[in-house]
Amino acid sequence: MVTSLLVSLWAGICAIDDIGTQMIRRPLLISTVVGLIMGDLQTGLLIGATLEVMWMGVGNVGAYSAPDIITGSAIGTALGILSGGTATAVALAVPTSLLAQQLLILYRSGIVYLNPIANRIAETGNFKKVFRIQYVPMILAFLVRAVPTFLAIYFGAGAIDTAVEALPDSIMDGLSIAGSIIPAVGIGLLMLMMIKKGELWVFLIAGFALAVYLDLSVLPITLIALPLAYLYDLATREKETKPESKSKDSDDFDDDEEDYDL
Amino acid sequence: MTEHTEQNKITKKDLNRIFWRMQLMNVTNNYQSMQAIGFLSSFTPVLERLYADKPDELKTQAMKRHLEFYNSHVNANALIMGVSAAVEETTTEEEKETVTAIKTGLMGPLAGIGDSLLKFTWLPICGSIGASLALNGSVIGPILMFLLYNTVNVGTKYYGIHIGYKQGVQMIEGAGGNFLQRLASMANVVGLMVIGALIASIIKINIDAQITAGDNVIEIQEMIDQVMPGILSLLVTFAVYKIFKRTNGKYAPQLIVGIMILAILLTMAGVLG
Repeated sequence: MVTSLLVSLWAGICAIDDIGTQMIRRPLLISTVVGLIMGDLQTGLLIGATLEVMWMGVGNVGAYSAPDIITGSAIGTALGILSGGTATAVALAVPTSLLAQQLLILYRSGIVYLNPIANRIAETGNFKKVFRIQYVPMILAFLVRAVPTFLAIYFGAGAIDTAVEALPDSIMDGLSIAGSIIPAVGIGLLMLMMIKKGELWVFLIAGFALAVYLDLSVLPITLIALPLAYLYDLATREKETKPESKSKDSDDFDDDEEDYDL
Repeated sequence: MTEHTEQNKITKKDLNRIFWRMQLMNVTNNYQSMQAIGFLSSFTPVLERLYADKPDELKTQAMKRHLEFYNSHVNANALIMGVSAAVEETTTEEEKETVTAIKTGLMGPLAGIGDSLLKFTWLPICGSIGASLALNGSVIGPILMFLLYNTVNVGTKYYGIHIGYKQGVQMIEGAGGNFLQRLASMANVVGLMVIGALIASIIKINIDAQITAGDNVIEIQEMIDQVMPGILSLLVTFAVYKIFKRTNGKYAPQLIVGIMILAILLTMAGVLG
């Protein structure tokens, strides 16, 4: 009871962060704290890392509301820890995030009613009043995430437990194997956004090779990537400025040295 | 352009007040006017300053002006608010259309740059570093992710407002836009190398099946590892990417469920282990 209240309180805080400062809002951070609350930091970390990568490319773009990864992470992690596994967490987080997405759309449609209110405040010409309009939606946003989280954890824990016990081992094994393949979805989505030119593939392969053959972790590979990014910028920039510099200087200089002056 | 008196000049403190207020900018994000209410409520310190001694009708007009549809990237908003503040300050009441024009002109392109730089590059880089540490059971993972991401997140918001105000419109129309594009393409390179590393370290596929030819038992996984370790992870990710490319990034949840079912079936059949 106390843990489900605390986890839902945390989900509510994350909800306000999501529409406000946007400092937490990611599975790795949400799940770690859920793990801390429930006294199983290690499992929280594992679940958080898996969900983080799985939902990497997922986010609101423009008017489109993405699956609600906040509620999904909070509920998935909490129930995953209770039934002891990353597999259950992933299996639960996906449908929960889709259901919670509908609530989120409802929230953003509902607060359309703030527009006439804002207009009325504008009529008064009183600048001070505008800021107050935020309070009610903040409470709503808190509840939209906290209440479902509480219900799911408080009433769902028992049901999930019996369901997990009833399932044959082979299905549970398959689910945990799926857990280590599913991150490909998040990565695939991200690649869709990032590979704008065919030549960029070489960098992905290089990163992969560094990890596979040299056993480097992500941080050193990021550092190695920095000079490469700089060189790539130099190479592509030269291409763009060349015609301009030629038209200006071609009469005076025709030496090769000209290229190095850039 | 009007001459403005000292008291009607926007101060550093006003800009800092925008910074604090814009932390709640998305609270009122709705399907009708998107971030318009949020923009007005964050932007009021500037209006309070500029309209302090103006009649109420003008105050109303100013507020309504900023209640028109508006939507951009949260971090880009800082820059736009800085620029808008500069424009509000230097235009007369008859020229106020410029404010809206500049706002709406900037929100689209800057939202795109903000998304591709922060949401699809920097955040995933931080997430990857954090996740790969967390998978080894280290609490430093999420802490590092939080610090790395929010240095940039909070930093761009704070400096965005001040730089936007100081440099005004020139910055974005001149060299600034070009610089942002270059930054985006550099970030892209780093991001893709991180993604490559991530594929190798996080996606794990292990084939359990063996081929028995006479007395020889051939472990398929061993054979594959000799070609290139982790190549299955690369192939699966590539397949997922191709599917997304064809479907335009839709059906991610369906794909996750599909992978689950496939993994369960293959495990039952003894192929995966």
